[in-house]
Amino acid sequence: MIEIKNVHKSFGDNAVLKGVDLTVTKGEVLCLIGASGSGKSTLLLCINALESIQKGKIIVDNIDVHARETTKSQLRQKLGIVFQQYNAFPHLTARENVALAPRLVLKKSKKEASQLAEKHLEYVGLTDKIDAFPSQLSGGQQQRLAIARALAMQPDYMLLDEVTSALDPELVGEVLDTLRMLREEGMTMIAVTHEIPFAREVADRIAFFHEGVIHEIAEPEKMLNNPEKSRTQEFLRCIL
Amino acid sequence: MLDYTFHWRVVLKQWPQLLKAGFLTLEITIISILLGLLIAMVLAVLRRSENKTARAMAGMWVALARNTPALLQIYIAYFGLGTFGLHLSPYISVLSAITFNNAGYLAEILRGGIDAIHPSQRQTALGLGLTPFQAYAYVIFPQVLKVVFLPITNQIILAMLNSSMGMVIGLQELTGMTTFLQSQTFRPFEFYFAAAVIYFIVAKIASTAASLIAVRHFKG
Amino acid sequence: MYQYVTHFTTHDLIFMAQGAGITLVLTIASGILGTILGFCIGWARSTRSLILFYIFGAYIDVIRSIPLIIQFVLFNSFMAIAGYPLNPFFSGLITLSIYISGYVAEVVKAGIESVPKTTKMAARGLGMTYLHEFFYIVLPIGTRTVFPSWIGLMLGLMKDTSLIAVLGATPPELLRSSQIIITRIQQPLLVLLGAGAFYFALCHMITQFSNLYEMRWREAQGG
Repeated sequence: MIEIKNVHKSFGDNAVLKGVDLTVTKGEVLCLIGASGSGKSTLLLCINALESIQKGKIIVDNIDVHARETTKSQLRQKLGIVFQQYNAFPHLTARENVALAPRLVLKKSKKEASQLAEKHLEYVGLTDKIDAFPSQLSGGQQQRLAIARALAMQPDYMLLDEVTSALDPELVGEVLDTLRMLREEGMTMIAVTHEIPFAREVADRIAFFHEGVIHEIAEPEKMLNNPEKSRTQEFLRCIL
Repeated sequence: MLDYTFHWRVVLKQWPQLLKAGFLTLEITIISILLGLLIAMVLAVLRRSENKTARAMAGMWVALARNTPALLQIYIAYFGLGTFGLHLSPYISVLSAITFNNAGYLAEILRGGIDAIHPSQRQTALGLGLTPFQAYAYVIFPQVLKVVFLPITNQIILAMLNSSMGMVIGLQELTGMTTFLQSQTFRPFEFYFAAAVIYFIVAKIASTAASLIAVRHFKG
Repeated sequence: MYQYVTHFTTHDLIFMAQGAGITLVLTIASGILGTILGFCIGWARSTRSLILFYIFGAYIDVIRSIPLIIQFVLFNSFMAIAGYPLNPFFSGLITLSIYISGYVAEVVKAGIESVPKTTKMAARGLGMTYLHEFFYIVLPIGTRTVFPSWIGLMLGLMKDTSLIAVLGATPPELLRSSQIIITRIQQPLLVLLGAGAFYFALCHMITQFSNLYEMRWREAQGG
């Protein structure tokens, strides 16, 4: 379970998160929607301590993420993260990209890590590109590589930051298919997304972010058809 | 027009001397590059530190090394330090000046390499659970190396060419020895031509080797 | 007439100032000559002619692989052998021009090649000839792209003028002037620092302007 309690985060004078409260239970799929700059991506980065917080607490499976005693690298094994810009390691092949962290962090042997890489690349449908370099892959393939890489660490939760936003329309589908598979298997996911139809289909709850806080949160049917707050209605009207 | 007979045999007779001087040139080049790299790595780190003084001092070193002539730097080492009672030999003067010079240029090359790597690479590596050290060693460093490899090999060749300035303060590296030998035989053209050929061959071997290594090892 | 004094005199200061002037003259003269020559070579190498590419490629290769000092004395002694002994100052000036032309050629070639193929195609599509395209499209764009690199080369040239001393060229440029003075006086460091300050001030200032220019150009490009 992930508990986010009254989290505040600023970049210098710029306050981005102004008191976020949220609880995500195991097996849940939560989609975050909202305007650019409303803090959604920053929240994801705070959950796995890639960004610090000024106030509040984030607790993952009873571990306080930002406490000094917490070993961040160990915590991040539980939290897989995939970014909008795929961020594949350009100097490694697809296989090496996926095998690196299991080898270094999970201390797997070279052989085990390679087999793990094969398994996860097969899962996302990249078996025929297993020894290609990221520069030889399309955007959609690189993003699926990034997902396989995160999954190879066997996380309990997946944090997805607008993973389809940088892709050409025809490549979005293959990535969403992968996410659907994860959902089927019961992976807990927090996904920042603009793909409303997708959110409607897979999310257990949708949260609308506005000006650094969660403005409204509800099941997809209620959220998208009958939102309570006017701001939410405005936003949905713009994008639907 | 060319009322001159070339006397190459004189040069060939002095071959051992030239070879010895050539090795001195190589020695100065290699030592000054290795030391220069070490210092440059420290400078590169200091320039990114939180401490303003550290940043300023590292920046000063780089600015001074790159904005003044190498020969001036040699003069300061050889003549200038005499003001403090420090009298360095021609060898040490040339070595320290070229090391100083190398460090400045290499620090700038390293900075370019580090800046070329997108910050999200580090974040991604950390996000997978790598420790900061692992992130630098396995993700950042290999990518930086790819960017800086050829500029560094270029600087190695430059260091070798700069070592020729040792001649001005009497050091008998290749150029200095050539000057000495031609003054004894009055055959400046033949001797300097021979020196030019030696420098050219060494530089060519170095740059060809560098290109081959770059092509073989830096894929993707 | 020249007093033998072991401290730094006003006469010395004037001597050094003259040296600085000679440094600038050498830099500007060889800079202009070298840039013109280098431009032609760089342009030649950017054409489809393989012969030109390889011949001038060898030229550049040789220049970049031999120390400038050797180039100075080699050229000077060659001219003497050929029966046309030159005044060391002019010999040095020519050597500097040839030396920098090699580096300028590479920068010019990079500038020409930096113009996107699509831009050139657009010009041709409008009916422009190669020369039209070159002078009205490629040159303006390419020049702005490589201007900072060219400035860097010119500043390097200014520092390299300090080596002309090996030819015993007169009048002496700044570093040679400094060296003449310090063989006489007790305070070599101050003189050298003074000379260094000149080089540093010029190089640093010009580099800052060049960086500013590069930033503005990048923004204008829509960076």
